[in-house]
Amino acid sequence: MARSKNEPPPAVRSPLETKSQDRARADNLVSVAEGRLKLYDPQADNIQKFLDLMGQRINRPLALSFAACVHCGLCAESCHYALARPNDPTMTPAYKADQIRRIFKRHKDWTGRIVPWWVHARYPKDDEELNFLKNIVFGTCSACRRCTLNCPMGVDTAALIRFTRGLLTELGIVPEGIFNVNRDQWETGNQMAVTEEEYLQTIAWVRDELESETKIRGIEIPVDRPDCDFLYVINPREIKFDPRSLADAARIFHFAREKWTLPKWGWDMTNFGLFSGDDRLGAYVAENVYQAAARLRARRIVISECGHGYRSTRWEGYNWAGHDQSLPTESVIMTLVRYLRQGRIQVNPARNPEPVTFHDSCNIARSGDLVEEPRWVLRRVCADFREMEPHGRENFCCTGGSGLLSTPEYRPLRLEAAKIKAGQLRATGARLVCTMCHNCVDGLGDVIKHYKLDLRVVQVLELVSRALTDADVKG
Amino acid sequence: MSPLLRLLENEIQLCALSFLVIVYVFRILWILRFRPYRERTQPAGSERRGITYSLLNISMPWSMESVRMNRGFYLQFVIFHLGVAAAIAATFIIPYSPEVFRVRAVVLLFQVIISAALVVGLMRLSRRLRNPAVRLISTPDDYFSLLLMIVYFGAAILAVPNRYSSAEWPLILFFGLTAFFLVYVPFSKISHYLYYPFARYLLGKTLGHRGVLPPKGAKEGTDFGPLEK
Repeated sequence: MARSKNEPPPAVRSPLETKSQDRARADNLVSVAEGRLKLYDPQADNIQKFLDLMGQRINRPLALSFAACVHCGLCAESCHYALARPNDPTMTPAYKADQIRRIFKRHKDWTGRIVPWWVHARYPKDDEELNFLKNIVFGTCSACRRCTLNCPMGVDTAALIRFTRGLLTELGIVPEGIFNVNRDQWETGNQMAVTEEEYLQTIAWVRDELESETKIRGIEIPVDRPDCDFLYVINPREIKFDPRSLADAARIFHFAREKWTLPKWGWDMTNFGLFSGDDRLGAYVAENVYQAAARLRARRIVISECGHGYRSTRWEGYNWAGHDQSLPTESVIMTLVRYLRQGRIQVNPARNPEPVTFHDSCNIARSGDLVEEPRWVLRRVCADFREMEPHGRENFCCTGGSGLLSTPEYRPLRLEAAKIKAGQLRATGARLVCTMCHNCVDGLGDVIKHYKLDLRVVQVLELVSRALTDADVKG
Repeated sequence: MSPLLRLLENEIQLCALSFLVIVYVFRILWILRFRPYRERTQPAGSERRGITYSLLNISMPWSMESVRMNRGFYLQFVIFHLGVAAAIAATFIIPYSPEVFRVRAVVLLFQVIISAALVVGLMRLSRRLRNPAVRLISTPDDYFSLLLMIVYFGAAILAVPNRYSSAEWPLILFFGLTAFFLVYVPFSKISHYLYYPFARYLLGKTLGHRGVLPPKGAKEGTDFGPLEK
């Protein structure tokens, strides 16, 4: 039977799955034993815990985002979920934020404490309601911050969503997929549980492949080399599924005569602390990277193409870790800009003749600082670059952000909301959609497949690598 | 002028205003009790520029897509708040500078602005009732505050001629509502204007530091490349 569009999506009724948590408990994982990875305890007073944590963790920007909403509803027009489901009012960002705001009002606000019904203030009744909250904050919002930038009052709904995720993660009330990645990152230091052996073997294999492809002897992918110009940190996806990205980077760095290294430990710049709202996990993962840079005396940290990895390592990580930034920390896109400006690599845009459009990652364009920079590079390495509309700060999410790729229970809703992204992509007429985010690569891949678009996803490094003319000379 | 009206226009207004100020002082202290956010990263932009842009955002309807695509909504916002400003101004003009409203053109100007605001208030109420998304998020406070504003605008239209010699009840209604407003506002959504500068300041500070605000256009990418970070 066809589902009525004005009903809330089934995603908000997803039950709390705890199989992985039960296994983690049975295996007595170190992170569980040390209390870093939290498990759900149905016997505990989770409501009280939730309220206590809320009281401890609210900071001033969050308090104002809770207090300042005037319920104008303008945010509905900036959210891809709300736009894709125009007859479903529960997709309005203010409604989603109100599910936590009502608890804040009941717990902290004067009016909400005295006459709660007047402002819809309410405590959650039981763990079922906390599970509903879990489905709202993990399943119906990609925390893309588009509504934040479109809110006349400056309410940061995405920050409220992340804050709520953090509280629920402390109680173990999290989607199983998010729990699994949190576990892997706590246990192994990287989100895909890549072992050191696997990591080093893949790097050696990538180097051998690159050597045979470019016919350049001595091309290097150094690991743990001290005193380099920069420490390069990557997404585990580059080891596990997409080593091409690392190969492209190594090739470019080689032609730029760069002195660089990967670390043996602390190489994962992705950070599920951003998605799960767990600042302690965020600090742990970011600190691994910062300590690797300090240990190897690198002069800067360069972050491979990843939206949330960039945001976590360049911006949030230092704040989570609680120490001031001491090293320049940049996206590899800025490294490419430097190479091109200094003439350290030569490129020919004719090598990329297909029409290319660029998808801005939310974590970079709205929570970071890079909008023009990737375009500056693409205009130099592509013959036919065209913008999608809207773009930059106003771009729509790939729909895979914020951990949604790890949560199959929310996938149907995510793909329904992807209608907006699909329309945007289709209108460009491009054959390639370029993004500087591994998460967006998968998110856009899903959109392209689901909506049967004639497009391929590429990354900036791939296009630059293809456009290199140094290869003609030296290869 | 009856003693009741005199009392309403003067002592009661001052008491209510003092109450509002005191409660707002506590509100601000309440906000400041929440710990501030400390940014530990090196900046990619300017906090000062971000804050300025964020605070002036409301006067730049082109700066936000939500407003750019809803020009009518923005116009309503401007008219509504002009009406609020005019009505508030009237509460001071009537008791302290009554000669201003002896100029018929001024009275008419105030009545036109406040009438337009009243119409906008009715449109906003209709939107709140008819738009399912807005209806779902609306609380009794949202409806009551809006209704109160509509009634207040109506009272202000009748009060600004300030002809207490012919009929006092419009002035009694207006000043009675003003006193109620001053007491009710700090506990209602209407106090959003108190939070506004704080919320926008903090958002502007964070996003200014990161170089997100003010937005950089393609024009800033020169032939020599984007700005150094």
